[in-house]
Amino acid sequence: MTLTQRAEPHDPPESDALLSVRELHTEFLREQAEPLRVVDGVSFDVERGKALAIVGESGSGKSVTVRSVLRLLPRTARTPSGEAWFHGRDLLSLSQREMRRIRGRNIGMVFQNAAEAMNPTLTLERQLTEHLLWHGICGKSEARERAVRALGDVGIPEPERRIRVYPFQLSGGMRQRAMIAMAMVTEPALLIADEPTTAVDVTVQRQILDLLVGLKDRGTGVIMITHDLGVARYFCDQAVVMYAGRVVEQAPTSELLDTPRHPYTKGLLGSSVEVGGQERPLLPIPGSPPDLAHRPAGCAFHPRCAQAESPRCQEEQELISIGDERAAACWKAETGR
Amino acid sequence: MSDSSRHVLVHADDVTKTFSTPAGDVQAVRGVTLSVRRGETVGVVGESGSGKSTLARLIMGLQPCTSGRVLFDDQDLSTVKGGDLRRLRRRMQMVFQNPFGSLLPHYSAVANVIEPLRLHGIGSKSSRRARAIELLDTVGVSEHFADLYPTQFSGGQQQRIAIARTLALEPELLVCDEPTSSLDVSIQAQILALLAELQQRLGLSCVFISHNLAVVQRLADRVAVMSHGKVVEEGPTAQIFDAPQDPYTQQLLSAVLPVTA
Repeated sequence: MTLTQRAEPHDPPESDALLSVRELHTEFLREQAEPLRVVDGVSFDVERGKALAIVGESGSGKSVTVRSVLRLLPRTARTPSGEAWFHGRDLLSLSQREMRRIRGRNIGMVFQNAAEAMNPTLTLERQLTEHLLWHGICGKSEARERAVRALGDVGIPEPERRIRVYPFQLSGGMRQRAMIAMAMVTEPALLIADEPTTAVDVTVQRQILDLLVGLKDRGTGVIMITHDLGVARYFCDQAVVMYAGRVVEQAPTSELLDTPRHPYTKGLLGSSVEVGGQERPLLPIPGSPPDLAHRPAGCAFHPRCAQAESPRCQEEQELISIGDERAAACWKAETGR
Repeated sequence: MSDSSRHVLVHADDVTKTFSTPAGDVQAVRGVTLSVRRGETVGVVGESGSGKSTLARLIMGLQPCTSGRVLFDDQDLSTVKGGDLRRLRRRMQMVFQNPFGSLLPHYSAVANVIEPLRLHGIGSKSSRRARAIELLDTVGVSEHFADLYPTQFSGGQQQRIAIARTLALEPELLVCDEPTSSLDVSIQAQILALLAELQQRLGLSCVFISHNLAVVQRLADRVAVMSHGKVVEEGPTAQIFDAPQDPYTQQLLSAVLPVTA
């Protein structure tokens, strides 16, 4: 289905990252209009045993970014361009047939709403053993053993009995754990989690994150999409902040949150409420995120930016390196103002 | 305490709500007693399924209590009928989690705000429109967009329109059920700032339901913590957050993940 449009074969980057995404672009076709560019030149690395947070508001392109890498885009999307190196292969140049051999086996996926992501008509046993059997990883009886073990690992009590139930017979928190078990049963090297704790309560959130910390410790690389900066700080080593389809800032998570450099990151922090921070005045970002069909010229954030007073803000902003590990797409970022 | 001398606007007195389901009875609210004084904001926190939203509907009189009673300005909601109930309902309004679901999709923004005024026969056709536009302006929706339909607004703007509509009848009590949970953080901050400002300016009494402890800490004077249909702890906000007594409250607070170091 996919045609590789490159004239010459290309080589993987020299970095030893588990996943290296370079210059990812994804466009959606529209009727009687130019294609809509939803992801616009995104690059990042995910290391083994580390977690990367992708932070941003709805419509910023977070989910489309990971779905591009997974090649799980709707039919209205064009095949993404750029590179996504994983185990020495560029995922963006593979056919859907080849991708099917990787998804579920080498890359696990956890979505926000387990009730929608699981098949309501199949028992947990069917859903947990499916990956193992389909990929030919093991036989039926071993698959069942591994599925029971995976359910136990995610803290589901009585896994031997629970494996026979249907998703609707579990509470939301238990269902979310079952989905993580489903993603982990094949021991994938990379786990992609799209808002995995948004629909669960704080105490369950903490348990699920601690579960994922255990996976990280065993060497699994994780991409976590989240809008919750507390979750990012707790779980993720690195973070990229997306706005209007582009990365506007990237840094180790604690540095990003302690000393944000891009005005949008500062705005996100000023907007967040946290326990114990009730005396700090709320500083909402005015306006709303841009409609991508009418992307503001230059820095897409400048119409909402409190610090945009220079004509330079109406020019395109490239990511500028700040030290070894950080970058921000704002000409003011270098000076830290 | 000087607060206790203030007049109680709404009082839930040992209310219980039991739903009958094919799988048996579910006790959503089990013997809750809660008062809201005039001008006060009471936060209700707890996990999903703890009975927060059911309690809100009982307080609003949208569902009858299985036992116990709700007194609004000393009147038992279950004994008030017909026109009297309608007049009483004017004094209490609700803001829901999903703003789109609570607006009429085939009515423009301004028509949505006019509707409660029309139903209660307030003003003339032209004065109603003028008042609705004024209300939209109060919540930060420009007159310029008043004739657009709900789908043409973002989620945050829709919630502003829904809030303008609740204010149309100049209620004394506002019940907010997770009003910012479906919104992005930058928009959540805008709506929280708006609610805090309106509450102060209009002297509204407020029940604020949320699973987000930080939001409740910011807005509430007092907090009730719910678990399995019961209020396990209740008190002034600072006391609940600084020195939680109940193990469940302690557990909730210890699961909070800080954003700043």
